Amino acid sequence: MDILFLLIPLSVILVLIILGGLWWAIYTGQFEDIEAEGERILHDD
Amino acid sequence: MQLGSISSTAPKISDQDSRWAALDDTAEWAAFSEPKGEVLWESRVAIEGMHCAACGFTVEKALKSVDGVVSAEVNASSGRARVLWTESKTKPSEWIRAVSEAGYQAFPQTQTDDQRRKQQRVLLWRLLVAGFCMMQVMMYAYPTYIAKPGDITQDMTGLMRWASWVLTLPVMFFSSGPFFSNALNDLKQRRISMDLPVALGILITFCVSSAGTFQPNGWWGKEVYFDSLTMFVFFLLTGRWLEARMRDRTAGALEALMRRLPSSIERQNADGSFTRVAIRRLQVGDVLRIFPGEAFPADGKIILGETTADEALLTGESRPVTKGLSADVIAGSHNLSATVNMQVEQVGATTQYAQIVALMERVSVDKPRLALLADRVAKPFLLLVLIAAAGAALLLWQTDHSRALMAAVAVLIVTCPCALSLATPAAMLSSAGALARNGVLARRLQALETIATVDTIIFDKTGTLTKDRIKIAKIDTTANISQQQALQLAASIAQYSLHPVSQALVAAWDKQEYGNVSDVREISGYGLTANSELGAIKLGSAQHCGITAQQTEAMQLHMANERGWLATFTLEEEIRTEAKSTIKTLLSHGFKVAMLSGDRASSAQAVANQLGINDVLADCTPQQKLAYMQKLQAEGQKIVMVGDGLNDGPVLAGAHVSVAMGQAVPLAQAQSDFVVQSGQLNMLLLLIVQARRTMQIVKQNLIWAAVYNAVCIPLAVLGYLPAWLAGLGMASSSLFVVLNALRLSRITPSQQELI
Repeated sequence: MDILFLLIPLSVILVLIILGGLWWAIYTGQFEDIEAEGERILHDD
Repeated sequence: MQLGSISSTAPKISDQDSRWAALDDTAEWAAFSEPKGEVLWESRVAIEGMHCAACGFTVEKALKSVDGVVSAEVNASSGRARVLWTESKTKPSEWIRAVSEAGYQAFPQTQTDDQRRKQQRVLLWRLLVAGFCMMQVMMYAYPTYIAKPGDITQDMTGLMRWASWVLTLPVMFFSSGPFFSNALNDLKQRRISMDLPVALGILITFCVSSAGTFQPNGWWGKEVYFDSLTMFVFFLLTGRWLEARMRDRTAGALEALMRRLPSSIERQNADGSFTRVAIRRLQVGDVLRIFPGEAFPADGKIILGETTADEALLTGESRPVTKGLSADVIAGSHNLSATVNMQVEQVGATTQYAQIVALMERVSVDKPRLALLADRVAKPFLLLVLIAAAGAALLLWQTDHSRALMAAVAVLIVTCPCALSLATPAAMLSSAGALARNGVLARRLQALETIATVDTIIFDKTGTLTKDRIKIAKIDTTANISQQQALQLAASIAQYSLHPVSQALVAAWDKQEYGNVSDVREISGYGLTANSELGAIKLGSAQHCGITAQQTEAMQLHMANERGWLATFTLEEEIRTEAKSTIKTLLSHGFKVAMLSGDRASSAQAVANQLGINDVLADCTPQQKLAYMQKLQAEGQKIVMVGDGLNDGPVLAGAHVSVAMGQAVPLAQAQSDFVVQSGQLNMLLLLIVQARRTMQIVKQNLIWAAVYNAVCIPLAVLGYLPAWLAGLGMASSSLFVVLNALRLSRITPSQQELI
């Protein structure tokens, strides 16, 4: 069970990293237009 | 005026190009663009007409095809675009034209659009942080709930508490930020609100739990409640986020209505030619050319030509007013029939239009604001909760510090004003959603409370009870011509004129085959002349036709040839089809109904008689309308004002509740609590019934919250309620309130019958 002493702090760091990713995603507008980017490949410019 | 020359004065307004030119005025650029470097500008525009991602690509392609547009990003779901362009190579009008050629409409985007998006992002971010941390804190808390004594070592418990503490920090300092700042503001202003016990509960829980984490043997005790804390914040933020989203959606729909190109007008240069300039560049003394269909941009005098003007928005007069040489024209009224030149006498704040707007703004500030039902109940309740929490702490303080504090927190959490604070907004939101789906926008949620209690309904006449159009009520003819023939002949001549009465004739003939007429001339202010099989026809006023008409209050149009009178058309304002039934239902439900009109007494009375309205005030200015309403308000009546015009603005703003019709001028819509988009009067019934239902549900919710609290507070005060049970009770009572509120999102069959 000693491994938990490593895993629990790791999980905290992981959460913080994920939150960082989420922050980046929201503020660069990744959630602004969910459909268009997927369809872009179907249109030739 | 020859037939050919009439068509040349046909509305030039459809020629959008010249209007866009106003966007090329460098003075306008700063309003929707910011400079990026020496020659680059970044513009924000709103695009209308997009409904899927593919539309976005089309617009993007259209924009990029313009030489000088460096980049373009189009977001189809929010209907916005960012365009980066070079000053030296292109102008805004060029790429806006490109968008229009692709089949969409582009407008400069307003600042508030942007602000709202930023606020929404921050709120979503707070919610996501709280939600994500909550899930993880639950993971750490779960083992302690299911473990038997001795299953987990002391070290391990300590470590998991530490982890929970770390993940609670962002929830405390970021997500709950608004609660703390609101509570602090309220304290400074010596007020009490929902946010105070929330903030207090969060703070005490955090302190007790932190102490329990780092000093398990200290006098604060060893219990931690991070899971309750994060869950609690997450629930609260969810409620607020949903409310904000709903509000933004209605606000966004309204802003779309207010979107306008900067107006421009043709001004005479020194050499006599005309160029289009932005209205904000106009000065007193300028000579302007106004095309039919355009609005007069300033107060002034006609110096060339004759026309008719529609001043209904400003004076309430529904008939077109003839404007001959040196007649005064009012800013904001519309030029109807012919191109004229005018000289500007007053611009900007000194025009009548601007004065009405100012009056409106002033009234809306001292509008009677009713306090929220929940707030009235909540204030004493909140005080009670704080006292109970303090009492619980005092009761147990001597025996056990930790138990005492947690009993206080249990009181704060179990009575968590969640249910109470959600009771009102949840019901109002789902109700507003249901209304929106039926075409009624709620601009102010609190207005639902007020409209449920109204007893008097005041209607404006023109545009609200009647349609804007005129219709032919009766046709009298001489013996040798049938009604059909008369109408055909009149419509055949009238099709060449833009006058509203002519348009009514054409509408009445309904696109059936026209007769042969030639040499149509329009004598402004009198009527039309033309040649036909029946000889030289005159169509217009009695004087124009050379006959003596009977004295009558009704508007009449006559037709004659060389041999004399042929036909008389009696005109009347077309009353909305649903108006009569709506008023009847309102009266049968015990509402008082009144009508205000800026129109002549005779025509106002005629409409009122048809609809069965007894209280009529005609021929009044916006100020008089307002005074009439304030008199009723002083008598203690609760008033809904239903209107559409600019002249209704001040009354709309001063009423307890105001409803604007969908085709109302943007300014009137901006001042009203509800906007009926379809313009259907019977939606008013739906609105009032729905508001009453909403208040019922709010009351049920509040009673539920009160009963729940009455049961739980004593338990919590006495220390019988552990914090986790308190948290569960809080969550389930909130859930009950929300589910109950959701019942409002459906319109009941009995309501359906009303519309």
